[in-house]
Amino acid sequence: MRSSRVALFTILAVAWAALAIFPVLWMAAMTVKPEALMFARPPAWSFTPTLEHLHYVVAEGFAWSLVRSLMVAGLSTLLIVVIGTPAAYAFARFPIRRRDDLLLFVLATRLAPPVALVIPFYLIYARVGLLDTYVGLILAYLTFNLSFYVWVLWSFCRDLPPELEEAARADGYSRTRVLLHVVLPLLRPGIIATSVLCFIFAWNEFLYAFMLGGKAVETLPVAVPKLITSQGVKWGELSVVGIAALVPILAAVFVLQRHIVRGLTMGAVKG
Amino acid sequence: MHPLTPSKDPAPLTLPSPQGGEGGGESGYGWFPYALIAPAMLMLVVVALVPFLYTVYLSLHEIRHAQVGDWAGLANYRTLLANPRFWHSAGISLLFIAIAVPLEFGLGLGGALILNQGVRLRSIIIPVLFVPTMMAPVVVAILWKIMLAGSWGLLSYNVIERFGILTGTSVLASPSLALYALVLVDVWQWTPFMMLAFFAGLQSLPLTPYRAAAVDGASDLQAFRRLTLPLMAPLMAVIGLLRLIDAFKVFDTIFLLTGGGPGTATESTSLFVYKTVFDFWDLGPASATAVVIWIMFFAFANGFYQIARRKLGAF
Repeated sequence: MRSSRVALFTILAVAWAALAIFPVLWMAAMTVKPEALMFARPPAWSFTPTLEHLHYVVAEGFAWSLVRSLMVAGLSTLLIVVIGTPAAYAFARFPIRRRDDLLLFVLATRLAPPVALVIPFYLIYARVGLLDTYVGLILAYLTFNLSFYVWVLWSFCRDLPPELEEAARADGYSRTRVLLHVVLPLLRPGIIATSVLCFIFAWNEFLYAFMLGGKAVETLPVAVPKLITSQGVKWGELSVVGIAALVPILAAVFVLQRHIVRGLTMGAVKG
Repeated sequence: MHPLTPSKDPAPLTLPSPQGGEGGGESGYGWFPYALIAPAMLMLVVVALVPFLYTVYLSLHEIRHAQVGDWAGLANYRTLLANPRFWHSAGISLLFIAIAVPLEFGLGLGGALILNQGVRLRSIIIPVLFVPTMMAPVVVAILWKIMLAGSWGLLSYNVIERFGILTGTSVLASPSLALYALVLVDVWQWTPFMMLAFFAGLQSLPLTPYRAAAVDGASDLQAFRRLTLPLMAPLMAVIGLLRLIDAFKVFDTIFLLTGGGPGTATESTSLFVYKTVFDFWDLGPASATAVVIWIMFFAFANGFYQIARRKLGAF
């Protein structure tokens, strides 16, 4: 009775997951589907795989977009970790005047709709010449990612037991040394989880890259329209780019798992 | 101690500081905590507060050809509120949220209850379920353009045409159906996440009340209504509110899948703002819209903060 119930629910859950992942698998099949079968009616389920789409994407220089995406996401995440970690720790550990107001400001920044922010960014950047620059894009990504990082890492910091820090202080460590040699090693899992999420958000980001970027900082998401040509939409090639954009996400999902819920609920749910 | 610091926060480190160097100040911490938050807070002021104030400034001025002109008072706000297209877009956003969010909430809760029945293979099922949520909007758009392409799309051919809903073109190009196609995409992307968030909540519930209920002979349904629902209520409120906020600001997938069209059939408020700025270059009213939206989101954020903090004890 009990085991048949578990079996039934397991089948249901597997079916659910299959439904969620199915469109991704279908797109993965498109990456090697011959052009001739692309528009077949009924849609073709079996075919001899081809690498023509992959070759086209490589020849069009999409690898450079991939590199630019890595640069923007990597550099912005690095900057965020450096300036965000001390802030998250300080909010969790020390009494700070108007702490609650500051934290609400951080949260509101995270939740603000990008479409409203991109307007002033565009106008200001046009004035100061930051359009289509790495600095400009990395700064813009701070709005949603720095606020996210501080907020979520703050939740990790609150979980740290203060006793170790107290012991280190009693041993004569300065507060800076406590932070560097006691707190940072303990916080490492939280820092990794939160910064990987930041990396993903930057990697996936479309609107800022589209409006504030151009040829020089063309990241992978905004390079996609190049595949909508006058000869029609290159579906196989689009699928290749889609899968390429998905690879770091898949890796991260398997590494992070339970931390994702914590991150995406802004620390409200401890996964 | 700061009066607003929650009691569960660790007590301040009261041990005497041997160096005595950075002690000092009334609170005993001196400038140290402020030095730690300064870089991040200054950056956030530059990238969030300054743009916000600049938008407020723009919204109160006449703007022609991207040049800031005379003080206009609330004229831009009046223009905005008199624009039927703004109200149309607000209606579209509300309709989108009103269908998508309850669906995601209900299905997510159902899925979480299923996952919570001692389901096997969870180490595979859970990461797979995270994939749609973590995906780039551009990839979501490619995926669903392929699934819903007219005539050759997998879903178009096998479901939409077969049931005679629509033939020849993609549902994304249909004025009456495009919005529902977008709802479908949103439900596909976010239901798994809702499911996993609720599941995490269910997993953290205390076991004792359930044992007591079982001893008292309560049925599963009774236990769900009397225990699970009340215990999960604050968490459900927080997750639901967060989803509401995200669903309201959805831009990328709509922009990439339909561009707000056909016509204005899927033009949500986000798309409306985008078009007034970058298509019509109508900066005054657009800034006014941005300010209105911002104030709304601030209210949302505050609601989330208060509920998560008071009811859930999360912060």
